[in-house]
Amino acid sequence: MSLLELKNISKIYGELKALDNVSVHVDQGEWVAIMGPSGSGKSTMMNIIGCMDKPSLGEVLLDGVDISKESSRALTNIRRDKIGLIFQQFHMVNYLTAVENIMVSQYYHSMPDEKEALEALERVGLRDRAHHLPSQLSGGEQQRVCVARALINHPELILADEPTGNLDETNENIVLNLFSQLHKEGTTLIVVTHDPEVAEAAQRTIVLEHGRVAREVINEGFIEGRQYV
Amino acid sequence: MTKRKMFLRMITASLLRRRSRMLIALLSIAIGATILSGLVTIYYDVPRQMEAQFRNYGANMILVSADDQPLTGENVEAALSLIPAEKVIGATPYRYVNAQMVRSQLSFVAAGTDFDQVKATSPYFVVEGEYPSGVRQVLLGKEVAETIGAKLNSVIEITYKPTAVLSEAGGELNPGATLAGSAEGFNQNLVYVTLTLGDDLTIASLEVDASLQTPEYGGQCAEEFFTSRFLGKALPLTFGEDVDGVSGATITSEAVVNAINNAQVTENATALTGATLSMQVTGILDTGGKEEGYIFMSQEDMAALTGERDRYDVMELSVSAGAEELASYVDQINAMEAGVTPRLVKRITNSETAVLGKLQALVFLVTAVVLVLTMICVSTTMMAVVTERRREIGLRKALGASDGSIRTEFLGEGMFLGLLGGVLGTALGFAFAQVVSVNVFGSSITFQPLLLPVTILVSMVISALSCLLPIRQAVAIDPALVLKGE
Ligand SMILES: Nc1ncnc2c1ncn2[C@@H]1O[C@H](COP(=O)(O)OP(=O)(O)OP(=O)(O)O)[C@@H](O)[C@H]1O
Ligand SMILES: [Mg+2]
Repeated sequence: MSLLELKNISKIYGELKALDNVSVHVDQGEWVAIMGPSGSGKSTMMNIIGCMDKPSLGEVLLDGVDISKESSRALTNIRRDKIGLIFQQFHMVNYLTAVENIMVSQYYHSMPDEKEALEALERVGLRDRAHHLPSQLSGGEQQRVCVARALINHPELILADEPTGNLDETNENIVLNLFSQLHKEGTTLIVVTHDPEVAEAAQRTIVLEHGRVAREVINEGFIEGRQYV
Repeated sequence: MTKRKMFLRMITASLLRRRSRMLIALLSIAIGATILSGLVTIYYDVPRQMEAQFRNYGANMILVSADDQPLTGENVEAALSLIPAEKVIGATPYRYVNAQMVRSQLSFVAAGTDFDQVKATSPYFVVEGEYPSGVRQVLLGKEVAETIGAKLNSVIEITYKPTAVLSEAGGELNPGATLAGSAEGFNQNLVYVTLTLGDDLTIASLEVDASLQTPEYGGQCAEEFFTSRFLGKALPLTFGEDVDGVSGATITSEAVVNAINNAQVTENATALTGATLSMQVTGILDTGGKEEGYIFMSQEDMAALTGERDRYDVMELSVSAGAEELASYVDQINAMEAGVTPRLVKRITNSETAVLGKLQALVFLVTAVVLVLTMICVSTTMMAVVTERRREIGLRKALGASDGSIRTEFLGEGMFLGLLGGVLGTALGFAFAQVVSVNVFGSSITFQPLLLPVTILVSMVISALSCLLPIRQAVAIDPALVLKGE
């Protein structure tokens, strides 16, 4: 069953077509990687899927709802309820501790629950860093906190834009293992990456070029629940 | 954990962990609140302080007689009963008469008063020596002391002859009637005469009191060789025709003739003979005003001198009240019609009102300017804060914060700053007002408990208003733009 369906979407900035008649569909529980050279429209697509932007043309169906027509208030609600976001830069609120950063997400979603937030940190191996400020955490640790924050409200869809772009191999593996586990639990994952190794961890890779889908590759070597070390 | 707790946790974390920037905003609010609470404190305390100050400048209300009769204790009491006792700082009776110095023959105003009250109504009196505390003691005005050459502890002799005798006069010129009169003689000192009429209504006997005249000259006019010249003469007399003067004492001689012509029938010939008192100078008074020409004595001594008790010409009051309140007392006393006319000492009450009015305008102006400056400062700081936190705001929005949440959070931070600034400002403002009060008025002020909630409220409203523009900026931030690469 398809969770997400992009139907002939375009995003036009003046002369420039950041996305040019793109159609993509993602099934419930699928793990998809998106690759492409810089400026090919990957982030633009992620912003549209993540309800932070609207396409100039075309329809976006998320869970059967056309989000391209929704008000920004409704988009905020959909984003809050269904989507977990992970960014290339480790965006944390810099004056809140690791656990508080996760609780912010709970706060906007429903109710802050410190115990649950600590469990999420446990899951990314940072239970002992719960009360550290972002400035006291390494880049890899910050990104793991962001992963924990993305999954805290049990979203149907996790969108990650270059989640491992600034990480060393050890941290990259930790993040990939988390994705692997989330996928096993049934979460849908869409991961933008430049790194072929990260793309290979997914079930399918969509390659964008000049705002168009250049090709789609089914990853034959995909192994469910694979451990990266 | 409830949402509210998390909200407070985020706000306090934002303020405590991002100190430097917020400190500026807090400081500006606190300074604004300090000025506000300080000025308001001074404003409310100043009338009280000023009143106390102005009370140092003397009486602000006087009671005088409504008719020609002197005031009595009774009608003064009635008037005073209309003013609450705790408001009356002092009530000083004055009885003024013209008295003469026996030795120098000079005449001065003698004032009978209550020295305890004088200290209250005329705190600016400077006394060298002491106020009289017993009988037969006087406080000499500096001018009087210099004129007659009296020093502390000197003994002076004062004599009083009532001119008021004539007010009791009136009656038929019958054989055997007694007449009394007075007229100004040498140096404007009075000469007194008492005469009786014979069967043909001519002068049958004459006594002259010239004790206030120069003894070796005018004094002779009291002697028989002179008084006998008048016997058998009919009234009125013409000086130089009916009687000749004593050589060398023409002025006194003419005064005797005038006194006889002035003389009226009296039942009470003894009223003419006032008393002469020997009194010790216990203090010399320096006021820079007309009081320096007076001789002050106790009411007992005044009674001994004049033979009259319970008579006042003026009652000076120092009342702790503003101009409006004083005016209402004046109206009440007038309405009572107790033979007392109250008057305000306009010089004092008017300047009090004028100064307070100017002060009020000044306080309003300064407070308004300071509050506007505070708003500008807080607004600018919050604007910088929003710019600085663009990424964080974008992130919050991406995480699902609605515009309302962003608004609430910033407003919350602003109000929290307002709360802290208000508390801080109340404390600092009180200290500020205290310092001003002690330095300017030399007295401390009382804390107005109501000022704490008012200052806090005003600070919170001010900072909330200051946040409106920055909040609009924050709400307009697009999460997609902020989170994209950069
Ligand atoms: N707000 C915008 N206004 C104008 N042009 C934009 C805007 N946002 C993106 N673009 C342009 O759209 C194109 C696609 O940008 P996008 O950020 O999606 O690329 P990307 O594939 O994510 O690249 P990268 O790998 O470098 O992150 C780029 O040429 C970019 O300059
Ligand atoms: Mg990108």
